[in-house]
Amino acid sequence: MTDLVFLALSGLVVVSAILALEAKELIYGAIWLAFSLIGVAGLFILLGAEYVAMFQIAVYVGAVVVLILFTIMLVQRERGRIVEEEEPGRLGRAGALIAGLVALVVAGAMIFLAPVSPETPEFYQVSLRELGRSLASSYSGALVILGLLIGATIVGALTLAKVEREGKSNGTA
Amino acid sequence: MKELEIPTSPQEILSLAVRIITSRTFLEIVIFPGFLNVMLSAAFLTWLERKVIARVQLRIGPLYAGMWGILQPIADGVKLMFKEMIFPELADAKLLMLCALGLMLVAFAPAVAIPFGEGLVIANMDIGLIYVFAVISLFPSVILLIGWGSNSKYSLLGGLRSLFQQVAYEIPMWLSVLGIVMLTGTLNLTKIVEAQQKLWFVVPQVLGFAVFFTAVLAELERTPFDLPEAEPELVMGWMTELSGVAFMVGFLAMYTKLYLMSALITTLFLGGWSGPAFLPQPVWFLAKTFLIASLVVIIRGSFPRVRVDILLRSAWTRLLLVAFANVFVTAGLIWLGLGTIWSV
Repeated sequence: MTDLVFLALSGLVVVSAILALEAKELIYGAIWLAFSLIGVAGLFILLGAEYVAMFQIAVYVGAVVVLILFTIMLVQRERGRIVEEEEPGRLGRAGALIAGLVALVVAGAMIFLAPVSPETPEFYQVSLRELGRSLASSYSGALVILGLLIGATIVGALTLAKVEREGKSNGTA
Repeated sequence: MKELEIPTSPQEILSLAVRIITSRTFLEIVIFPGFLNVMLSAAFLTWLERKVIARVQLRIGPLYAGMWGILQPIADGVKLMFKEMIFPELADAKLLMLCALGLMLVAFAPAVAIPFGEGLVIANMDIGLIYVFAVISLFPSVILLIGWGSNSKYSLLGGLRSLFQQVAYEIPMWLSVLGIVMLTGTLNLTKIVEAQQKLWFVVPQVLGFAVFFTAVLAELERTPFDLPEAEPELVMGWMTELSGVAFMVGFLAMYTKLYLMSALITTLFLGGWSGPAFLPQPVWFLAKTFLIASLVVIIRGSFPRVRVDILLRSAWTRLLLVAFANVFVTAGLIWLGLGTIWSV
């Protein structure tokens, strides 16, 4: 039963990831990405990490909306227009071949060196309470630094947005 | 996870089917805290809203279908089901149908974790509170997709407004329940209700309650925050181009959200199922839930709509500030040793 669920979820993750890459319209790509991330959340639940799964849904799947928003705001939409695909050149083909081979070798090595198992050993299952306690005590320094990092990112993003807006208003005036 | 035995003879298949259908989990999922309850309650809420808003405006409201017009939702549902579904020529009909269904799915999902009575919960999760918030955070993406897929400026603007509003108010909403989690030390919704047997959280967490209720109004796109469907500007917001069954599903999903958010407020702040013993626990729970829902409706009848900039500024500055103040007040309560009243 567990194996069946594991296989179904893995299938969902892989297939929707491929569809996300192949989608002609960016918004459909974003939707498939959301499905893929939901599948990853399901894998986390199967491994007994419900907490991580919930944040996977709240943060990653929820953030897909931002991707959709960027697509709407940045890409001009014309329904019915056929996207012309550029034929990849010789260099592009070679690059794709090399990347595919590397991915194949890495995946093969991972499967042979560490066999995949949907069962989790007991000692890996950490309760949320323990996790919170260790974050607030032994890892509190790292937590504060992470918080500062995120704060700096937000300030940087705000600065960039503000500069852009000033430029725009100058342009129109 | 239990291994399922594969039945072979017809008798075994029949007995297995009977065992599944009469099992407690199945009944919970299909009938009481689950599907049927949520469906009927959402339909009932559409009637309740029309009746209450009519009282506020000195009208009578639905009258002819059944006693006091209580069968009106069923009549409306049948009417919408037989209507033709019309989509604009350049709209993405497949995407719209998919999103209407997805909206329903997302709207139903919180019902899994909310306890309607002692032990009357489909999945008693240790992280129930985070689960509910995680599921609610999926709403804006589906709504924005409906707005985009309609290929209409009203729908797109409504979807964008809905997105900004829901994302902005999610942060005070998460923060305002932090006080409860600090007092009880758990995210399990059943345990949070059990902790309120002596005193409901609305008393020590009055600031948190105010913030949470305001944020819920914004999340529900209710007056005074109903900008995403402001009628004079946007016709019906992101729902403008939905028609027939698609409209019904979207409409019902918003009422399901109203019902389950009211249920969440009841669970977190109003003692959940607890009440004097002469009535069964689910009755108390439903009574409190419908009371909160009526309060939301009365607010719709009495307040004007706010402006977009006021809406966003008040979320990011005022509400966030009050939510943080609530966290510090709660820390003070625990420091004074009053936290033991609510410890599980």
